[in-house]
Amino acid sequence: MSSVTLSDVEKYYGPLRVVHGINLEIESQEFVVLVGPSGCGKSTTLRMIAGLEEISAGTVAVDEKVMNRVAPKDRDVAMVFQNYALYPHLKVFENIAFGLRIRKEPKEHIDKTVREVSEILGLTPYLDRRPAELSGGQRQRVAMGRAIVRHPKVFLFDEPLSNLDAQLRTQMRAEIKRLHKRLGVTSVYVTHDQVEAMTLADRIVVMNDGNIEQVGTPMELFTNPANQFVAGFIGSPPMNQFEGTVSANADGLFASVGNASIALPEVNNVQHGQAVIVGIRPEHISIHPVDGLPSIPIALDLVEPLGSEALLHASIDNQPLIIKAETHGDIEHLNSVSELYAPTDLIKVFDKDTGAVINSHPTGRIAS
Amino acid sequence: MTNWNLYSRGDKFFAIVVSVLIGMFTVATLYPFIYIAAVSFSSGFAAQAGKVVLTPIDMTVEAYKYILVDPEFWISYRNTFIYTIGGTAVSMLFIIPAAYALSRPQLMGRRFFNLFIAFTMWFNAGLIPFYLNMRDLNLLDSMFGIILAFAINAFNIILLRNFFEAIPQSFEEAARMDGANDFQVLWKVFIPLSKPAIATITLFCIVARWNGFFWAMVLLQSQEKIPLQVFLRHTIAKLSDDDEFAITQLDAAYSAETVTAAIIVCSIIPVLLVYPWIQKYFEKGILLGGVKE
Repeated sequence: MSSVTLSDVEKYYGPLRVVHGINLEIESQEFVVLVGPSGCGKSTTLRMIAGLEEISAGTVAVDEKVMNRVAPKDRDVAMVFQNYALYPHLKVFENIAFGLRIRKEPKEHIDKTVREVSEILGLTPYLDRRPAELSGGQRQRVAMGRAIVRHPKVFLFDEPLSNLDAQLRTQMRAEIKRLHKRLGVTSVYVTHDQVEAMTLADRIVVMNDGNIEQVGTPMELFTNPANQFVAGFIGSPPMNQFEGTVSANADGLFASVGNASIALPEVNNVQHGQAVIVGIRPEHISIHPVDGLPSIPIALDLVEPLGSEALLHASIDNQPLIIKAETHGDIEHLNSVSELYAPTDLIKVFDKDTGAVINSHPTGRIAS
Repeated sequence: MTNWNLYSRGDKFFAIVVSVLIGMFTVATLYPFIYIAAVSFSSGFAAQAGKVVLTPIDMTVEAYKYILVDPEFWISYRNTFIYTIGGTAVSMLFIIPAAYALSRPQLMGRRFFNLFIAFTMWFNAGLIPFYLNMRDLNLLDSMFGIILAFAINAFNIILLRNFFEAIPQSFEEAARMDGANDFQVLWKVFIPLSKPAIATITLFCIVARWNGFFWAMVLLQSQEKIPLQVFLRHTIAKLSDDDEFAITQLDAAYSAETVTAAIIVCSIIPVLLVYPWIQKYFEKGILLGGVKE
């Protein structure tokens, strides 16, 4: 199995720099997800690993061997494309066998390997069909089969599920995870969907504007976002963020958000009167009184029932927020919510100017 | 059945105008074929007298007998096959790789080469310089010269280049990841995906070669190298100048017109046979289902 190392990797398109010198160490057998908004450079980074884009500066190494000048075909990496890229004139068997035929593998070996892979992916009944005769999920599986069949050192996935409907996406997500467990091949997966990132990744790399914002396990990123961007990107719905001013009294630190006062955790490096961003996740907010916590008045706007939970769209001092609350089978009682309670130890405080988190959260505790 | 109640008056009027225009176009296209076939099977007298309109008059196959026993007809027929098959093959050998190279964004100087190729569509040296060029290259009266001189056609290259450009880049990338080099990408992916375009261009080449007349007449002198179209011209000239033929033409079973028509019918048959085979590629594309757009 193989590791992938990116050192000071940059990508320029003419004068435009789209990847800003990123460093990343991907360990053998690890499943790393690059996540970020459109245009953040995640696909470009993946394509540089694949060899489909030239690397403007820095190095990409697989197993410590620098790949900058190695052709895609000689990197021993396989890629699953967003649009499948199945050869429409070839049947499923030939699509999967394509790479082996190009490499002039013996016929018996091709036949055996393709059938094994088809078995793993449940494609055996479809080997004689052309891509046009398959459903979206089946096509995606063929695309994966084409990648698996060569036993590459690294799998690269470029938003492979984004063309599937929601139900199929959930199903395929689980299949990819199962496949990774079974094969244990180092995988780099690009997506803009943070749910995919959270569910699949051993580690997530959050990218923004050509930079890596944070690297960590899904739970690290969820509980300890390094900055406002990560806090706003990871989690569904994302972390609520309010502008406030720090004040202190005998009970501790508070942030004044309009007329409301939010109790802050102990933070050493903030000053009285300092403008900060207060962050609290929708699922950490309580709508029921909690001992020792001040109530924060809110203006409720809308209740969105999701079944066992509901999203309450509200605002504090005209700053929007979302609360995730349990319905217990009924949403009537949620329509009258007028205040919330924010557990102090789950609140994040961000520097208003830099966006960096001021208090990290070593324990990563999540409200029950 | 079309439910005309669903259409507005404007739509109905449009449908009628379109149908009339298509009908006229069909007649204009089809009639010359029917007329030539009818003349070829008519007697020389009837053709000469202008009696043939739609069907053969005084049905006879004398015109065919006249040309089919002429060894020069068969030599020119063979030559036309050589020029058509050889010329088309050589053309495709140049056109396909050129179109592929010009369609690749990574080609250095791609803009210049595209401009360079397109330039030859609008400007060329003209008849005399071209002739002198062929003479200096020792390609006059040469079958190989005829094949080589017209091997590259800028229009066809641009047509195929545009088709290649429309093929999603991910096909090429997937093939490269699978280990394919440029030739394998072209041969195993682009050519199979471009069958409709390649079939179209092949047909263009076949028809152009099959009907090639002017340059063959200018560049070829030997009787044993001329194609069918030049033989046709020679035959028309010969029959028109033939006094004996002219004297007997009033009761002749064949005439210059019927023999010409018979040669034309013979020359059309192979193209008519090839067309249906290529036709299937025109009907639908092949990219369906390969990529999710």
